[in-house]
Amino acid sequence: MSKTSTTAAAAAAALLLASAAACGAESDTGEVVITCGTCQESPTDPFLQYNYEAAQRFNEEFAGRYRIETIENANAGSSDDRLQYYQRLALADDLPDLFQLNSGEIKALQETGRLHDFAPALDADPDWAGTFQDHAFDALTGGGGEVWAIPQQRDAIGIYYNADLLAAAGYDEFPSTWDEFESLAAVLESEGKTAIAMDGDWSTMLMWVHLIGTHPGGAAFLDEGIEDGDWGSDDAVVAATERLRSWHEAGYVNADAFSGDFQNAAAAYLTEDAAMVSNGPWFVATNLTTDAAAPGLYEKTGYAPAPGWAAGERGAIVVSGAGWVSGAVEDRELEAVHAFARFVSSQDEVLAQAAATGANPPVDVDPAAAADAGLEPLATGLVEQAADLAYTYPHARVHGPAGFSAAWKNLWPAYVEGDMDTGEFLQRLADDAAATGLGG
Amino acid sequence: MSTPTIPRPQILGAGPGGAAPPERGAAPRRRTARRAGGIPRGMRRAVALSLLPGLALFGTFFLVPFAVMVATAFADWSGLRLDWTGLANYRALLDDPVFFKALGNTVFYAAASVLVQVPLGVAVGMVLALRPPGWKAIRTVVFIPFVISGAAYAVIFSMFYNPRSGLLNNALAALGVRGDRDWLFDSATARWAVAGTFVLVIGFTVVLVMAEITSIPKEVYEAATVDGASTWQQLTRITLPLLRNVIGTAILLRLLVDIGMFDLVFILTAGGPDDATATLALYAYRAYLTGEWGYANAVGTVIIAIGLVLIVSVRRVFRIGERT
Repeated sequence: MSKTSTTAAAAAAALLLASAAACGAESDTGEVVITCGTCQESPTDPFLQYNYEAAQRFNEEFAGRYRIETIENANAGSSDDRLQYYQRLALADDLPDLFQLNSGEIKALQETGRLHDFAPALDADPDWAGTFQDHAFDALTGGGGEVWAIPQQRDAIGIYYNADLLAAAGYDEFPSTWDEFESLAAVLESEGKTAIAMDGDWSTMLMWVHLIGTHPGGAAFLDEGIEDGDWGSDDAVVAATERLRSWHEAGYVNADAFSGDFQNAAAAYLTEDAAMVSNGPWFVATNLTTDAAAPGLYEKTGYAPAPGWAAGERGAIVVSGAGWVSGAVEDRELEAVHAFARFVSSQDEVLAQAAATGANPPVDVDPAAAADAGLEPLATGLVEQAADLAYTYPHARVHGPAGFSAAWKNLWPAYVEGDMDTGEFLQRLADDAAATGLGG
Repeated sequence: MSTPTIPRPQILGAGPGGAAPPERGAAPRRRTARRAGGIPRGMRRAVALSLLPGLALFGTFFLVPFAVMVATAFADWSGLRLDWTGLANYRALLDDPVFFKALGNTVFYAAASVLVQVPLGVAVGMVLALRPPGWKAIRTVVFIPFVISGAAYAVIFSMFYNPRSGLLNNALAALGVRGDRDWLFDSATARWAVAGTFVLVIGFTVVLVMAEITSIPKEVYEAATVDGASTWQQLTRITLPLLRNVIGTAILLRLLVDIGMFDLVFILTAGGPDDATATLALYAYRAYLTGEWGYANAVGTVIIAIGLVLIVSVRRVFRIGERT
């Protein structure tokens, strides 16, 4: 190699080192730069899009002090291998300074020891900590009192229904008991309609959780019992599982109810083939008000709490099961992370997020401000109803093992087809779901 | 009649301007420049240097990961900790019914390839080699599925099999056959439905076979025609035996794809229902997701061992590389 080329190579290496150094946590101007793994623009995911816009507003407000750099991340949205992706980053000490995960994933990822604990920051700022709703941190708190995430939302999840289809079947109101629900389903089935749309994954699990949570003792299972391996001895779980299976056998659900793709369940509801579907408030923004929905469907749609096993015992899933987590370790970066956590949990931002995504605020907000923000009435209506329900309970993904969803998708179709009995299904579901997690 | 002179190619260094060959009986010249068939001594360093980047990449991205995989298959490795456990992962494999289910499914897919896909590809290739009307268009149509990415292909077939809106059930319903079967998520049909997505992807075999047939001398067929052999006899007695090499190659390539099959199954069924469609590669991936990296690598090692056995076996059976 000639002297000239050697010199050029050395210069290039020096330039690379210099530019790498410039990518550190602090720029020459003293501005602290932090990375965000879930702040990229997205034309299809309103949550990511909100995050992107919030990061821009944060950068504007804290210009010169803190700046968020967006990482383009193919695993930013919901996916089965998202946890594994972050586990790899954690093992390489390369977690983003900010990103979002659901509670099951947080539980698994904190085992790497690389997640930041927000508890000291919340303890040091009781005014900020006091803004959050009761139980907002339940699903995000570790066994030693660590707070692994700042909650992103606090939602009530019920069942969407097409009021016109229900009226045509002779029901002017949403059924208040599961028996009534099944009577309605039978009428709809006889008219060639699908009573309830499911996907073999998310929306099927929601119905399973509704059936468990509204059963006496079921909420306790979803809160705590789900962490134990013996699900088959829980009466609420057994009854709920068998009842849900019977709906498939009776033809109350869509034919493609095992696909694992929520869009199949959504399509059945949006085309008015199905009268009901369970999902969270974001369903309005992501499906109900899109071009995929039948004209006028939004106006026909109601959002109700789940029926009960007995009259007056209705319930709803109440979750703050996802939140902002941090892999930052340096003090200056953590200062910026805490500033962002305060920023996104401010009243203005939670209302902006609610308007953009339909997700409800994790903090208490001024009712007048909430009214002015034009929040989705279907979602806020259910939140108000949830306060008076007999049962509120978390989603199985909140306290359940991180591998629950994959295990469910694999086993549920076989169980419904009769390949295994309820005891075997629940035992294998518990075992397979618990297998996920580093060092598990 | 004079004997025609056969022009011979000039040999480097021996033609005009080159060194004359040593005369018989003359003392042999010292071979200072290079050994026979070797690299000239003066170029060895340059050759070695030019190989270094490639060797470094090969070592970094194949040899090292391969060694890590084989070594950690003997460990309880989760990324967080590594405990050497000897043959424990392999013993666990032997006790794991899901492993055998995945192995059985992989063998099933491989059998579908060997028994249906490759024979069909060979048959179509042989027919198209006869240049029937429209053969070029048919060849193009047959080849198109081969160039579609596995993921896109899986999405297309998940729509095709959709029990509510898919083409298959709607076509069956139009024929008066039960039209609501969930082909991919019914344990009785799931494996067959997955195999059905790839057994008709015969374009690669068709093209291989057509290319090979083109290389068979026309004189062989002309002689057969003179001897009164029918077209069928020419296909079965001449063409097919001469395709031995290419059929073996097609089977080998397809088997190597099958033992590593992942994307198609992952997108179509994620291995369900109840692992009825899971493959070894998908099973290894699941173990990796659950933090059982050593166990996943044991499965990976088994996949590679099967691959090696297949390569040796198929090469021997079809005598790949030997002259026909």
